[in-house]
Amino acid sequence: MSWLSDFEAELTARAVRPAVRERLLAELADHIACEQDAAPALAATRLGEPRALAGQYADELASDDARHGAWRVFAALCAAAAALVLSQVTLGRFVGYPGFDRGFSVALSLPAILAMLVGPQVALVGGALAAWRAIRRRREAALPAAEIALVRSRAQVGLGAGMVTMAGLALYTANFIGVAPAWWLALSGTLVGAATLALVWARSGLARSSGTVALVAGPPGDIFDDITPLRRLRGHPLALCLGSALTAGAVVTLAEWHAERSLSEGLQRGIFEALALSIGFAALGRTVGARR
Amino acid sequence: MRAEALKGHLDGLILATLAEDPAHGYAIAQTLRERSDGAFDLPEGTLYPALHRLERAGLVRSVWSTAAGRRRRVYSLTRSGDGALRESRREWQLFAAAVEAVLT
Repeated sequence: MSWLSDFEAELTARAVRPAVRERLLAELADHIACEQDAAPALAATRLGEPRALAGQYADELASDDARHGAWRVFAALCAAAAALVLSQVTLGRFVGYPGFDRGFSVALSLPAILAMLVGPQVALVGGALAAWRAIRRRREAALPAAEIALVRSRAQVGLGAGMVTMAGLALYTANFIGVAPAWWLALSGTLVGAATLALVWARSGLARSSGTVALVAGPPGDIFDDITPLRRLRGHPLALCLGSALTAGAVVTLAEWHAERSLSEGLQRGIFEALALSIGFAALGRTVGARR
Repeated sequence: MRAEALKGHLDGLILATLAEDPAHGYAIAQTLRERSDGAFDLPEGTLYPALHRLERAGLVRSVWSTAAGRRRRVYSLTRSGDGALRESRREWQLFAAAVEAVLT
C-alpha cells in the first residue's frame, strides 16, 4: 500500500469527515508529488507515520468540533432565552398574564408552564458549563477524549432543555389562541420558530462534532475544575447539591416575596425551586460533570 | 532539532513563513528547512494539521489553485493571523531573553 492509501485508511478508521479527508489527501498528494520532483528518494518519508499523523489530525479536529459545537449551542440558547423573555415581557406588559386555567386546556398549560420554568434553568447550566469549558480549553490543540465527551454531553443537555423550553412556549402560545390577542400570538409563534431554527442549527453542529474519533488519554475534569471556588466541595456532592438548592431556593423565595408581596407564595416557589434543582442534580449531575 | 522541541512554536513559525507571501504546504516546509539551515527537520505531515487548525481559528485562509495539473491548496495570512504573529514574536523575544539570561 502507498503512504497515501495507508493515511486514508487511518483517517477513515478515525471517522474523519469525507470532505475534510478528501482535502487533506489532495494536499498531501501534491506534497508528495513536489517531493518526487525535488528529491525522489525522500518522497513520502519526510511526512511521518500515517497512523500518527491521522491520529493527530483526528484528535485536533474532534477537539475543535466539540468546542465549536458547544459555542453554537450556547449562542442558540441565548436566542431561545431572548425569545422566551420577549414573549413573556410583551404578554405581561401589554396584555396581562391570563390565568393558567383560562386557555384551551389546563392539560396544555400546566406542562407548558413547567417546561418554561425548568427548561431554561437546565439549559443555562448545561449550555453555560459546555461553553465555559470550551473557552477555558480553547488553546489546547487536542483535548482528552473523555473531556470532549463531557463537553458534548453538557451541550446536549443544554440543547435538549432548550428544545423542551421552546416546545413549552409553543404549547403555552397555542393554549391561549382565542384568549390572547392575535398580534401577541403571531409574535410569540414567530419567536418560537426563529429560536427553534437556531437550536436545530446548533444541533447539526453538535451532531457533526460527534463523528470524529478522539483517542487522547486523560481525565474529563469536572465542575470543580471549571468553577474553582467550588473546589473545597470536591468529593462532597451532597453538600454541593444542598448548598445550591438552598441558595437557589432562598433567592427565588426573596424575589417572589418581593414581586408578589406574599411570603407564602414566595416560600412555595422557593421550595419548588430547591426541589427541582435537587432532582436535576440527581438526574443530570453526572452527565454535566457535577458529580462522579 | 527534534520535532518535540518545536512544539508550541510551530504555529508561530508557519505564520512567519506566510507573512511574506502566500504558500502551499510543501513550500512552507521547504522555507522552514532552508531558513533554519536544516535544523527544523520535523515530520512535514504535521504541518497540515497545524495549517488546518490555524485556518479554523481564522489566522490563515486558503484557496485551491492548480499547478502542473495538480490541485494545490495555497495559504495566506489573515488580519487576525498578522496580529497573532506579532504576539507570537513578542512572546518569543521575552522567552528567549529570559532563557539567555539564565543560561549565559
